[in-house]
Amino acid sequence: METNPTHSRLTAIALTFMAIIWVSPFSWLFLNAFNTASTGQLEIPRSVGLDNFAMAISGNAGRQFLNSMLIAAGTATLSVVVGIAAAYPLSRLRIPGRNAFLWTLVLLRMLPSAGVLVPLYFAAQRGGLLNQLGVIIALTILNLPFTLLLLKNFFDTVPIELEEAAYVEGATLFQIVTRIVLPMSRAGIAVVWFFSFTGAWNEFLLPLIFARVQDAFPMSVGLYAAFGQQGAINYGFLTAYSIIYAAPAVGVYFLLRRNMNTGFAGVGVKG
Amino acid sequence: MLKKGFLTTVAALSLVAAAAIPARAEVTFMYADWIESLVEPGIKAFEAETGETVKAIKLPGQGYDQRIALDLAAGTAADVNLMDSFMVSELASSGYLEPLNDLAAGWDQYQYYLPGLLEVASYQGKVYALPTDTDVRMLWYDKSNFEKAGIALPWEPKTWADILDAAQKLKDAGVQYPFQLPAGTKQAEAATMQGVYMALLGADVPEGDRNRLLNRETGQWIGDSPALRRTFDLYHQVYVDKQLNPADLNYATDIGAAVRAALANDQLGILASGSWEDACLWDCNNPPSREERDAQVGWTPWPGSGEPGAKTTTNISGGWTIGVNAKAADKDMAFKLVTAIFDEANFKAWTLANHRMAVRTDISESPEYTADPFLAKATALAAETTGRDTVPGYQTVSALVQQATADILDGASVDDVIQEYHDALVDEFGTDKVMTYE
Amino acid sequence: MKNQSNPWLTSNLLVLGLGMLPAALLIGVLLYFTAWAFAFSFTDLALVGRKSVEWSWVGLQNFERLFTRKGFLDALWTTVVFVFFSAIVGQSVLGFLLAATLRGTQSTIRSVVEVCIMLGWLLPDIVAAFLWSATTSQTGLINALIVVPLGFPPISFINDYALPVVIVANVWKGTAWSYLLFSAALDSVSREVVEAAKVDGATPLQRIWLVMLPIIRPHIATNMLFITIWTFTYFPLIFAMTGGGPGRQTETLAVFLYNQSFARGNLGFGSAISVAMLAIVGVLSIFYLRLLREPK
Repeated sequence: METNPTHSRLTAIALTFMAIIWVSPFSWLFLNAFNTASTGQLEIPRSVGLDNFAMAISGNAGRQFLNSMLIAAGTATLSVVVGIAAAYPLSRLRIPGRNAFLWTLVLLRMLPSAGVLVPLYFAAQRGGLLNQLGVIIALTILNLPFTLLLLKNFFDTVPIELEEAAYVEGATLFQIVTRIVLPMSRAGIAVVWFFSFTGAWNEFLLPLIFARVQDAFPMSVGLYAAFGQQGAINYGFLTAYSIIYAAPAVGVYFLLRRNMNTGFAGVGVKG
Repeated sequence: MLKKGFLTTVAALSLVAAAAIPARAEVTFMYADWIESLVEPGIKAFEAETGETVKAIKLPGQGYDQRIALDLAAGTAADVNLMDSFMVSELASSGYLEPLNDLAAGWDQYQYYLPGLLEVASYQGKVYALPTDTDVRMLWYDKSNFEKAGIALPWEPKTWADILDAAQKLKDAGVQYPFQLPAGTKQAEAATMQGVYMALLGADVPEGDRNRLLNRETGQWIGDSPALRRTFDLYHQVYVDKQLNPADLNYATDIGAAVRAALANDQLGILASGSWEDACLWDCNNPPSREERDAQVGWTPWPGSGEPGAKTTTNISGGWTIGVNAKAADKDMAFKLVTAIFDEANFKAWTLANHRMAVRTDISESPEYTADPFLAKATALAAETTGRDTVPGYQTVSALVQQATADILDGASVDDVIQEYHDALVDEFGTDKVMTYE
Repeated sequence: MKNQSNPWLTSNLLVLGLGMLPAALLIGVLLYFTAWAFAFSFTDLALVGRKSVEWSWVGLQNFERLFTRKGFLDALWTTVVFVFFSAIVGQSVLGFLLAATLRGTQSTIRSVVEVCIMLGWLLPDIVAAFLWSATTSQTGLINALIVVPLGFPPISFINDYALPVVIVANVWKGTAWSYLLFSAALDSVSREVVEAAKVDGATPLQRIWLVMLPIIRPHIATNMLFITIWTFTYFPLIFAMTGGGPGRQTETLAVFLYNQSFARGNLGFGSAISVAMLAIVGVLSIFYLRLLREPK
């Protein structure tokens, strides 16, 4: 760990070995994506090329990428904004039973959203929300229990003394929240935003059912263009598309990574 | 800053998304992507002829059934919809679909549809959708493995015992999957149609629907019968008693690709499947030539069980259909779109190019179609086909049948499986809707 | 402790209340739909057909059938095994060990390992299923690189070891969350405490067991709750890989729920299954909460 050089070299070897095991299943993904005659088997490509990627980004992929970004970023942002507005009071005011309430909400989210798909759909139809906004709102509702619990825990770790000091110097509530609480829990907010983002990025059924026009489908629906009838799957398209599909989420992770590593420290503090 | 920008963008874009949905177009149409080469020329022809625009939405096959059920129930469905034939009666019984008999009366090509196939898309005597294609089911076999096992070619089994005998020889010759008989919930509808129903139809005398899942006279589901017991016993012999096939192909992540790979590697003996296999057999990227296919694989109709009085060969057909929404604003226009899609020239070109089985005599009797030896031979099988029990509740019963085969794979006895199946039918439909034979 | 006498809070109760309003509204909608799911468990609601519109109340029938019909109890046991090995032992322990080992190692190795773990987390479930089935197939990576070169015949993992395969796949897919949580938690353990233990002659294992673990106990409890809930209800990976089979070997409650609700189309029974799952995890979470609230 710290000082012993043999020890640290052994650790490094063990970790490298670990990383190799962890990453080796990806060989299938990349071998197929660059194989112009991909069959879904694990094999060395006879002809290597970018045809699959060209196919993956042709057609509606650009539009679907924008839709995915809209749904994922919209859901994450709405979840975080609504979550902050409620989590701060929940963290600071002594509302009786608030913890039990939040835990219960998290537990209730175990009920599968597919079970309420029918009433949800009818409600969205009545509210004129069979569109992207409807998907964003529905996903935000489903996210909110986790968002609230995590954000409240992060706010709990911000020392209240800082807020007192700011108040003494004449800061308003708005200033206290935006200048002290939010920057101090920036990392936590990044965590919550990222997990809402990836959740919405991977959502398939809601956008499929809610979209009224083909142009409203996100990439998670576009992925299924690889599945033809009678089980003939286009593996070249599937693998190339899924690399393009996962890349933005990986990119977002790296953008937020520095923030997230410290942000996680707040998660477990106090129920 | 960033967050504010996001919010404005989100708000703006969702307004755009909302505004992008136009006021109701003249005719709307929903279909799955795999059939685009049939419907898209039809849409163009329709637009050119009528001057109307078609608002079409193309979906992936995944989730399609769920979406169409929701859409029709909520009144948000398109005017014209593609759907699997097994859903038609279910949707028609809920009043979601428009009967086509009157609309089709004035269409000169309606007369060519095979009555047996229209029946599949009918409910209480009315036709609710028109079929796009059909299929037949048979036993495919790998010729080189049959030679290795010392079985005479062409293989023409007369009874189930012949099949089991061949499978045993194949197993002894070291063939990895001697008899791939679809089973289990992952196979979904394939386990019911390609496996259970094909055996069931030949398991007992065809009197009073003794060899079916449903008694069509009384509308009762059959919870226990000699035919069901014999069928499940066949599964038991294949997967448990004689171990004539490992279960894993039924649970592969991509079953189709796994079966093709097994066929390509000469690991397969007998495969219970259907006419669609001929489109690519073991390689969908570079479909083998007719000569290569005929050299490596052959097919034979499913024989009956060999019980006295049972059918000597069996067959059952499914397929997809196109129907009109009961709430369509202009039903005549909607049906006109259907006729444009199914117009002979367009329909025939698609049927031939995609190696589909024709659903109309004007196509199946055309010289181009009869020139294809496979289609010609398979279509002969279709002449005596059985439609599946497309009545409300079929989907549930099919799922229960699949579960029964899965339990057999786990080693459950035929008695237990039948008991469980019977109880589940009673749970779903009530005692008076379930009957037993003998 | 926070108290009500903080004037910037007490003088702005109305504003704070207004801030909570949107969340309260959305939570209200969530509770409304949750109530539906609860109510459905007492009905014979179906997915399609007549009973999808004209459903009726059936009392506790659906709950009785959880125990009198085949499936639920088997699936419950499979789920317990799946959750215990893939989430609690796999993701949690492996995530913790990785976090503890990587603490203080040079940043390149740490980055590489982190990227590997995150890639699994971010890959779509359906593609992860294909990837793992290709890895464990008879011509797949494990057979081609390990089993066959060692002179054994290729193993059909899905046939012979279906449950272990999906457990390993889920560990691979989901360790990222536990790893990130624990590595952040360990960051908050002060170095002085660890150094002091070292001076006192504690071995690395003792340092982890006696010093670090007690400090991060709250994190462990929260993590347990979250991954238990997620793994209990996690469905796409198993469903795509094996569909619950062979037979019922990998049929977890989430797969069972899907088969009953959508394949069989019995939404009423499906709702009863999910309510039962909720009750089971509810009991577990009380246990986790006790772990969380242990006195200092």
